Amino acid sequence: MAVARRPMFGEQQRFMLFLIAPAALLLLLFQVLPIAIGANASFRDWALYNPKKVWVGLAHYEAVITDPAFLEVVLPNTFLFMVISVLGALVVGLGLALLLNRPFRGQKIVQTVLMVPLMVAPVIAAIMMRWMFNDQFGIVNAVLEGLGMEGQPWLVQRWTAFGVILLTDIWLWTPWFTLLLLAGLQSLPREPFEAAEIDGTSTWRVFSHLTLPMLQPVIVVCVVIRAIDAFRTFDIVWTLTGGGPGRSTELFSLYAYVLAFLNLDLGRGSAAAIVGGLIILVVGIVMYRLVDRVTKS
Amino acid sequence: MAMVRQPLLFARVPPVGRRLLFGLALSVICFLFAFPVLWLILTSLRPESGVYYVHRGTDFTLASFAEVLHEERLVQAFVNSALISTLATVFSLLVTVSSGYMLSRFQGPASRTWFGTIYVFRCVPYISWVLPLYFVAQSWGIYDTYIGLLLPHIAVHICFFSWLMKGFFDGIDPSMEHAALIDGCTRWGAFIRVALPSAIPAIAALAVLCWLFTWNEFLFALILTGNKVPMITVVMAQFVTEMGLRWNLMAATAVMALVPAFLLALFGQKYVIRGLRL
Repeated sequence: MAVARRPMFGEQQRFMLFLIAPAALLLLLFQVLPIAIGANASFRDWALYNPKKVWVGLAHYEAVITDPAFLEVVLPNTFLFMVISVLGALVVGLGLALLLNRPFRGQKIVQTVLMVPLMVAPVIAAIMMRWMFNDQFGIVNAVLEGLGMEGQPWLVQRWTAFGVILLTDIWLWTPWFTLLLLAGLQSLPREPFEAAEIDGTSTWRVFSHLTLPMLQPVIVVCVVIRAIDAFRTFDIVWTLTGGGPGRSTELFSLYAYVLAFLNLDLGRGSAAAIVGGLIILVVGIVMYRLVDRVTKS
Repeated sequence: MAMVRQPLLFARVPPVGRRLLFGLALSVICFLFAFPVLWLILTSLRPESGVYYVHRGTDFTLASFAEVLHEERLVQAFVNSALISTLATVFSLLVTVSSGYMLSRFQGPASRTWFGTIYVFRCVPYISWVLPLYFVAQSWGIYDTYIGLLLPHIAVHICFFSWLMKGFFDGIDPSMEHAALIDGCTRWGAFIRVALPSAIPAIAALAVLCWLFTWNEFLFALILTGNKVPMITVVMAQFVTEMGLRWNLMAATAVMALVPAFLLALFGQKYVIRGLRL
C-alpha cells in the first residue's frame, strides 16, 4: 500500500470517509443522539403523561443512587448475575469444547445438538423454562415428586427464581463459549501436546499447564464480550419473572425500563439508564486494559 | 520416528469401558441440552385436555398449530419479523463490511478513533439508548413503523460486526489489492472486486448471525413498536401473560418461531464455524 499511498493522499482520506460514513451516520442518529437526548431528559422533570421538562438538576440521579431498591437489590443482582452466568457458561462451555476436541463417531450430530440453544430466542428459552418450572404442572416438580422429593414454587421465591434465570442464561450461552473455545483449541500448535504425551504427563497437568495458558487470550476475549452483554440482560428476566417476586430479581435494564415505562417517569428512567451505562463503561475500560495486557504478553 | 509413533497411535484408542462411559456421558449431555426444546415440541403436540400432564397420556394433535395460524396478529408478526430480519441483515452487512475493511486496511488516527468509538458504543447497554430512542422515534414520527424498527436494528450491529469484519479482513492478505492498485484499479475496485470476494465466507457467517439476532431480538421491538408492527418475540411474551393457562398454544407458537431459526442455523452452521475460525 506504501507504493500507492503518496500520490493519492487526498483521495485516500475521502475513500476512508466514504467507507465509514454510512455506519458513522447511523451510529450518530440512533445511538449518539438518543443518548444525548436521554442525558438531557435525565436532568428534567419528564413524566410521560405530563412532560413539564423543567430543569431539576441532579435530583433524578440522587433519587436513583440513594434508592434502596437500586443499591441493595438491583446492583447486587446485576453483578451476581454477570459473574455467575459468565463463569457457569465458561466452565460448561470449556468442558464441552475439550470433549468435542477429538475425533469420534457421531461428532457432527453431537455438535449440532449442542449448538441448539444458540438458535433459540431468549424469549422462547424463558417461556420453555417457565413452563418446565411451573409449580403445578411443570415437569421439574413432577420429576422431583416422582423421586419422593418436594416440589418447589420455583418462580415465586427470590433465590430459586434467580437460580432459574441463571440456569436459562447459562443454557443459552454455553454453546457460544463452546464454539469459540473449540475454534481456539483447534488452532493451538500440536507439538507441546505431543511432547507431553511422550513424557507421560497426566491429563490434568496437560490441561492446567498447557491448554489453559495457551487458550487464555481466547478465554479472556470471550469473557469480556459476554460479561458486557450479561450486564444488560433484559428479555429472559422480563419473560421469566418480570423482576418478581416483588422486585427481588430485577436487573439493571429492567429497573430502568420499569421506571420509564411502568412508573411513566422518563426523566428518572433515563437517569438510571445513564448510571448503568457509566458503570458498565468503567467495567468495560478496565476489561479492555486486561485484554490488552493478556494479548500482548 | 516410527518406533515412537506406533505405541502412541495405539494408546489413542481407548479401552472399551472408557469408550462406553464417554458415549454415555455425551448422550446425557446432549439430552440435557436438547431437553427444553424437546419438551416444548411435545407440549405443542398435546391436546388442550392433556397439556397439564404432558408426561402422561398418549394423544397427540396438530390442532394447536391450526388454531395459532388462525390468529391474524400472530401471522402478521411472523411476516413482520421475517421482513425486518432480512432487511436488517442486508443493510447491516452493506454498512459494516466497508467499515470493517477501513479498520483493517488503514492505520492512523482516523482508524484508531473509529475503533475506540465502536468499542465504547459496543459497551453501552441497549436500554441506555433505546429508552430515549422511544421519544426520538415519536418526535420523528417513526414510532411503531417498519423504518423506525429497521434503522435501530441496523445501528445495533455496527459496533460488533465492524469489529468482527476487521478481524476477517486482517486474516486476508492485502497484497492482491496492492497489485490491483498498481495495475490501475481504483481503491473501490480493489475493495469490491478483490477484497470482497475473498471475504465471502465471513460475510455469510455474519449474515446468519445477524438474521438470528434480529429474529430473536426483544427489547427494541418492545419499546419501539405498538400495535401496528407486532414482532414475534413481543407477541409471544404478551401471550405468556394473556394466555398464561393455554400452554399448548404458547408452545405451538414458540415451535413455529423456532423453525426458521433452526433451518437457517442448520444450513448456515458450516459457514459460521468456518467464518469464526478465520
